[in-house]
Amino acid sequence: MAKKTYDLLFKLLLIGDSGVGKTCILYRFSDNHFTTTFISTIGIDFKIKTVELRGKKIKLQIWDTAGQERFHTITTSYYRGAMGIMLVYDITNEKTFDDIVKWLRNIDEHANEDVEKMILGNKCDMEEKRVVSKERGEAISREHGIRFMETSAKANVNIERAFSELAEAILDKAAGRDADPDHARIAVERRPSRAPPARACCS
Amino acid sequence: MSEPEVNTNEEKKGTSDFVEDGKNKMVIKCKYCLSKILEKKTAVYVEQEKELPLMFQGIDRKQGEIKKEMLNEYYHVDNMYIFENIGFTHQVDNYKYLTCADCEAGPVGYYDLDSKHSYIALSRIEHS
Repeated sequence: MAKKTYDLLFKLLLIGDSGVGKTCILYRFSDNHFTTTFISTIGIDFKIKTVELRGKKIKLQIWDTAGQERFHTITTSYYRGAMGIMLVYDITNEKTFDDIVKWLRNIDEHANEDVEKMILGNKCDMEEKRVVSKERGEAISREHGIRFMETSAKANVNIERAFSELAEAILDKAAGRDADPDHARIAVERRPSRAPPARACCS
Repeated sequence: MSEPEVNTNEEKKGTSDFVEDGKNKMVIKCKYCLSKILEKKTAVYVEQEKELPLMFQGIDRKQGEIKKEMLNEYYHVDNMYIFENIGFTHQVDNYKYLTCADCEAGPVGYYDLDSKHSYIALSRIEHS
């Protein structure tokens, strides 16, 4: 049997209205971007990214809805096996924020009930066009007991941190399930000292 | 069939520098953004004639036309989770094309839906 090159595999989904920047969240903006016409025509189905958390090598398999959301056809098959969901809205578009509640219902209906969720207010580099305050994002997340972050795929703010935190949350949950409370508690306590300071975007 | 001699020679020279014990001697990265695609010694070098669409299709092509080139040196990866970072496109015929996970440059190779194996073209990536 081939040697396993990783410790854990997490399946993550990106969900939210069209145009909120889900696809861009999976794309590292830099001076070197090279999306070719051939690739952009076909479109990306999913990506595998490797992160290291607490000495564990974790493979993230990240799926984009690829426009299915336009037709409200996101169903059980898409959610199957998902351990984490990034629920994305656009801070410059009120409707995408209002629809978060609708998406949460969709998740409740179709996804595994212990799926780890995080709400992302994307496009926080576009402060001049902002219509959804950070406070409102925080409030709705608190109300539903979900993590929250504002991100900018374009300015590369909080993207990696968001994926790491979601992965850590899944890791914590797995640790808890293993009936190892000591381990879980230590892990949680370690997090603040390990996390990089939040970048002062969108405040 | 006439072979492009210069290219063949270059590839031959390159192979011995990059392959050891039949596997990739070096880390494999994206040519453009240097995102890590494969760790050392995780993929098997194979020679096979296989066409891949060009990364840059150009603007002079006819609508719907896809320019391809024949490549004969690939790294074979039999389990997609061996990749450090990689993107999969939607399905075209029986393949998904592989791209850099970060900058989406590609195709750097293809994934065969029948065998579930992946192939990365040596000429489309950087050894480091």
